[in-house]
Amino acid sequence: MFAYVVKRLLSGVVVLFLISMSVFLLFWYGPSEPAQTICDRDTSNRCTPARLEVFRENLGFNNPWYEEYGTFMKGVVAGREIQFGSTKVFECPAPCLGYSYRTKAPVFEEMKDRMPATFSVAIGGAFLYLTLGIPIGVAAARRRGTVTDKALVSSFLVISSIPYYLFALLTWLFLTISWEIPLFSETGYFPITENPAKWFSGMALAWFALGAFGCTTYTRYSRGSMVEVLNEDYIRTAKAKGLRDNTVVYKHALRSALVPVITIFGIEFGTLLAGTIFTERIFNIDGIGLWALQAVNQRDLPVVAATALFGAAVLIISNIVVDVIYSVLDPRVRLS
Amino acid sequence: MSAQATGPETLGSLSDEPEITDPNSAQAKEISGKSPFQIAMARLRRDKIALVCAAVVLFFILVAIFADLIAKAFGVSLDTVTACDVLECNFAEPGVGYPKTGPPFHSFDPEHPFGLAPRTGADNLAHWVYGCRTSLLIAGAATLFSSVVGIVVGLVSGFAGGVVDKILSFITDFFLTIPFLLAALTIAPIIIDRFGTSDSYETIQIGSLILILSMFGWMTVARLIRGEVLSLREREFIHAARVLGMPTWRILFKELLPNLTAPIVISISLMLPAFVAAEAGLAFLGIGVTGSASWGQTIANAVPYWSNYAAFLWQPLIGVVALVLSLNLLGDAVRDAFDPKTRR
Repeated sequence: MFAYVVKRLLSGVVVLFLISMSVFLLFWYGPSEPAQTICDRDTSNRCTPARLEVFRENLGFNNPWYEEYGTFMKGVVAGREIQFGSTKVFECPAPCLGYSYRTKAPVFEEMKDRMPATFSVAIGGAFLYLTLGIPIGVAAARRRGTVTDKALVSSFLVISSIPYYLFALLTWLFLTISWEIPLFSETGYFPITENPAKWFSGMALAWFALGAFGCTTYTRYSRGSMVEVLNEDYIRTAKAKGLRDNTVVYKHALRSALVPVITIFGIEFGTLLAGTIFTERIFNIDGIGLWALQAVNQRDLPVVAATALFGAAVLIISNIVVDVIYSVLDPRVRLS
Repeated sequence: MSAQATGPETLGSLSDEPEITDPNSAQAKEISGKSPFQIAMARLRRDKIALVCAAVVLFFILVAIFADLIAKAFGVSLDTVTACDVLECNFAEPGVGYPKTGPPFHSFDPEHPFGLAPRTGADNLAHWVYGCRTSLLIAGAATLFSSVVGIVVGLVSGFAGGVVDKILSFITDFFLTIPFLLAALTIAPIIIDRFGTSDSYETIQIGSLILILSMFGWMTVARLIRGEVLSLREREFIHAARVLGMPTWRILFKELLPNLTAPIVISISLMLPAFVAAEAGLAFLGIGVTGSASWGQTIANAVPYWSNYAAFLWQPLIGVVALVLSLNLLGDAVRDAFDPKTRR
């Protein structure tokens, strides 16, 4: 078990290292003149070649990339100092992901401010679609082949065939703009510590959209895996023993039926934590996704790079967690 | 049944032959000599939902191909107009910023059947028709490229095995860990920076979008094909081909590839709707197609006008939903038809 976890962690570190290097290289060689944006911004569009040269020197674009990549990685681990222009020196504590060109604040500090919003959306939405999706899926599996089951499956198939962002957009347009439902009147993120009621009503619609859309997929997954498990021999044995139907379904079948569902959930939850870009854009929630989107429009490259790195890291970590949980639930995985 | 009951009893009960009432009947002929592909197509033809969806998809494909003709037939174009010629620019009037003719405040205008866009005065029908073209062009090209890459990677890694397989599998897994949306978000500003001022920006944008979509679309195909090849590799006909001295590339493309029709068709049926949705989604976020007409871009533009001019939003939205929905349902039917395990 321990060896398996170590192996997974090591491969995760390798992948993260590769991704960080790809992102770094992309932003090193990608822009035609990497220092141009910051120079334009800092001199209010009066960037002379001499000033540009100063920025190039300060930001290390005159050094070979591997040297700068080393500096960058050292900054992530131990922090570093970043110089903008000739005189301004900024302290960037670890984990230093660079400085925002726009606000001149450490990227990680800004990211920390936006994490609660994204986490609120992700946790609430995921909670909703699991608590809706699994029971509905189990109920449908128990009524397999009936009209209810067929109606449920086909209507959920249609809903999940619509792109999510259009579903969310229509939810917002109808519930907030057209029908003006009071609970959903002001969507957005308001810190829970200041006003829990406002936090809840600001998030409610985003949760609803994520939950209602996501539960269709989880209903299908859990229905499918439940149908499979209910055909197993040990379920027949349990029934033959004379156990009550509910005991068979919830105690014997559900446990193994949930294993594949939880796996998919874990990976998807990681994607949600990495930035719910569409949800944040539509419901105007100031989280990491919206921040990244704004940074793209303002060409705030360090912020874009940092969100990409953050997303990849979260996804890799959630993959590892899922693998480890899976190996606990199913011993065959770690032995192979 | 009735024929058997009235026929001679001895034949029915004593014979060990399988019960075929008439060896020349249509049913008996149908059974003989059908490839899996033909069986699947026959299954599809019996599926009413699949037929309806196929008709909808065909409609969109025709619209995309004949976009120029349709636009000409209705006398509309993508050309930018002087906004005040067609929009209400008098601030004293109630509908300032909205079109002077057609919806939302005036009756139907035959010159612009779908109406005009507020603020810009662009023709909605032209944008819809060309948006359909953009959408299908990008989704189709991305599907083509990712299928080709996926098939080649899957074939090679499954067939070669060993170190090659390990390396290719690692690359596949590596790409699978990168969130697509974040990658698109990361690459977008760099493309704008590099080519934003270039004359052929539109083409470059569409090309890079196809590239990004293909870069993050090939992995599922590769995995599917690799798995299939692993099981086919040890079958007799491949061994026979090897013993006969067939060159490897011929084994790959003449022996293996025809046996991979089902997984290839299945993965295409999954990719197409996903790419249509992704294209519109990226355009909606403002990091996809911005230079030419795109449904997602129109949807994003229409959101502020929802209360007064809902039709402006419904047109592209119905386009995306109808296309993605019918592609998805058609794909579902195709997967069922190609999967020998499904019982119907």
